[in-house]
Amino acid sequence: MGTTITLEQNSEAAKAAAENITARFADAGITAETIAHKGGKKFEYVRITCSPEQWRAVAKHLKNEVGVNHCAMVTGTHYPSGGDRGWEVAYHLHRWPIQNVEAHTMVIHKGEDLKGDDIPMEFEVFIDLPEGDTPSVPSIQDIWEGADWNEKETWDLVGIDFEGHVNMHRVLNPHDSPVGFHPLQRQHKIRYHDFNEMYDDPQGFGRKPVDEGRVK
Amino acid sequence: MAEMWITMGPQHPMTHGLWTLRVKVDGETVTDTEAELGYIHRGVEKICESRDFTQITPYCDRLCYVSAMTWAHSYIMAAEDLLEAEVPERAEYIRLMAAEVQRLASHLMWLGAFGPDIGNLTLMTWCLRDREMFLDLLQELGGSRMHYNYPRVGGVKRDIPIGWANRLKAKVRLFENRIKEYEMLLDESTIWLVRLQGVGYATAEDQLDAGVTGPNIRAAGVNTDARWTNPYSVYDQVDWEPAVEKPTSVKGADCYDRYRVRMEEMRQSCRMLLDAIEKIPGGANTHYQPGDEMIYTKAPTRAPEGATGFSTYECTRGVSNFYIKGGGDGRGKNPYRLSIRSPMFLTIPYVAKTMIGYKVADIPAIMGSFDPCIGETDR
Repeated sequence: MGTTITLEQNSEAAKAAAENITARFADAGITAETIAHKGGKKFEYVRITCSPEQWRAVAKHLKNEVGVNHCAMVTGTHYPSGGDRGWEVAYHLHRWPIQNVEAHTMVIHKGEDLKGDDIPMEFEVFIDLPEGDTPSVPSIQDIWEGADWNEKETWDLVGIDFEGHVNMHRVLNPHDSPVGFHPLQRQHKIRYHDFNEMYDDPQGFGRKPVDEGRVK
Repeated sequence: MAEMWITMGPQHPMTHGLWTLRVKVDGETVTDTEAELGYIHRGVEKICESRDFTQITPYCDRLCYVSAMTWAHSYIMAAEDLLEAEVPERAEYIRLMAAEVQRLASHLMWLGAFGPDIGNLTLMTWCLRDREMFLDLLQELGGSRMHYNYPRVGGVKRDIPIGWANRLKAKVRLFENRIKEYEMLLDESTIWLVRLQGVGYATAEDQLDAGVTGPNIRAAGVNTDARWTNPYSVYDQVDWEPAVEKPTSVKGADCYDRYRVRMEEMRQSCRMLLDAIEKIPGGANTHYQPGDEMIYTKAPTRAPEGATGFSTYECTRGVSNFYIKGGGDGRGKNPYRLSIRSPMFLTIPYVAKTMIGYKVADIPAIMGSFDPCIGETDR
């Protein structure tokens, strides 16, 4: 198979991308490092850690200077048990070799010919948020169109607010779900079958001791 | 004429599942659309937080019954990343073959469902007939017709049975000829061409920006495919090329291009399968016992807090992603958080917007050509 990306190409591209981001944002305290997958072929990817205030600047840099063209997924995680963070938002972004494709043409990339910003790469962005009831991150809806429904889903399921997101609405839960019902927050437990948590206890705080043994 | 909203779905045949497309029409022309999802949201991500890493595989099978094997494989790759598991090469070959057989079955299900959308009822019977051949092969591996629970962290559940390789070879050879029959039926059918050509244009860059991947983007003339851009398994050792179609218009790929690229992809899967059978380490007609080191390596079952696993996988409809955080349950037996991204979750809102400007009668053709699957979308 001639078209496959090799480990050397991948590692070079990961280093170049991480250096690019570090050079631009080192003063702001944003870290970018290359991490190798621990399974499969041990390919490397770039992990970026930044604060919510810096996120839009980083996203624009990634799109315009690093060639990231696909917002694959947005994951919110709830850490209620204390520590220095209460929430975490993880963005997974991809760079695919699709840059300035001319209309009505066919582009057959060969793996060994790809260089620089054309080499496919995975990016992982971690944003830690402080504890509190209103976790909030700036929206990147206008930077990648694909972030739109990803953010809708993350708000719907986890309850992370995306500042500046236009037309936020429920996507997977019913449209008439009670305000404040976000089932992937950790205070919600999977219940026995005749208990409708969404309507009987939308905030998840009113758990009765008598439930204890029946909670899965 | 006054504009009005029409609701297509959740019981409309166009939807290929349970979801609603609200269409604003001006006469016969679509002027605005809205997609509504969530009808079969089962909370798989929440359930997985209280299951251990082996117990999650069956849930991932059930994300999409049309391509259960690829979804399980996709999950297992993320779990292996999290748990630092090694996989024997023979197991990788078996997984590759299972995934490609599943891809054939899935594309056949797509073609079979797409035909009646366009008005070709013959296609459904032909495709389901051929899909049955491949489901039989998968049943021999997993024991069940749809949900196989076959891959394991560190290998596969059991080896391929004696004679499986010969049956696979015979079926693939037969199917290669069947593809020609399909093309004779479809490419010379005026109805098929009139309904598909010049409808539902989408360019590669627009699609990628909106999060659409897989065959839909390859139809627009770029050979982007996670099987070579983010190589996994042993796709770098077998003989294949990513299927790609030159779009027929400057406006991008139309429905016909998307149909063509999936036919080509089925050919490539056949080519891959025939090659993998020859190259599999240990021989295609040997059978190792379950747990043998040729097909399974024991892997850790717990992941510490702070460990993460991520997979990028070329599923049958595009790139699927799994993201797992270790350290759930206080002891690392369960994932703390498991997140699933189906390519279709982003594709459906995008497709809904591309319909604007076409006629109401084009909606089934456009929607069907993107191969929607709601089980994996709603999770």
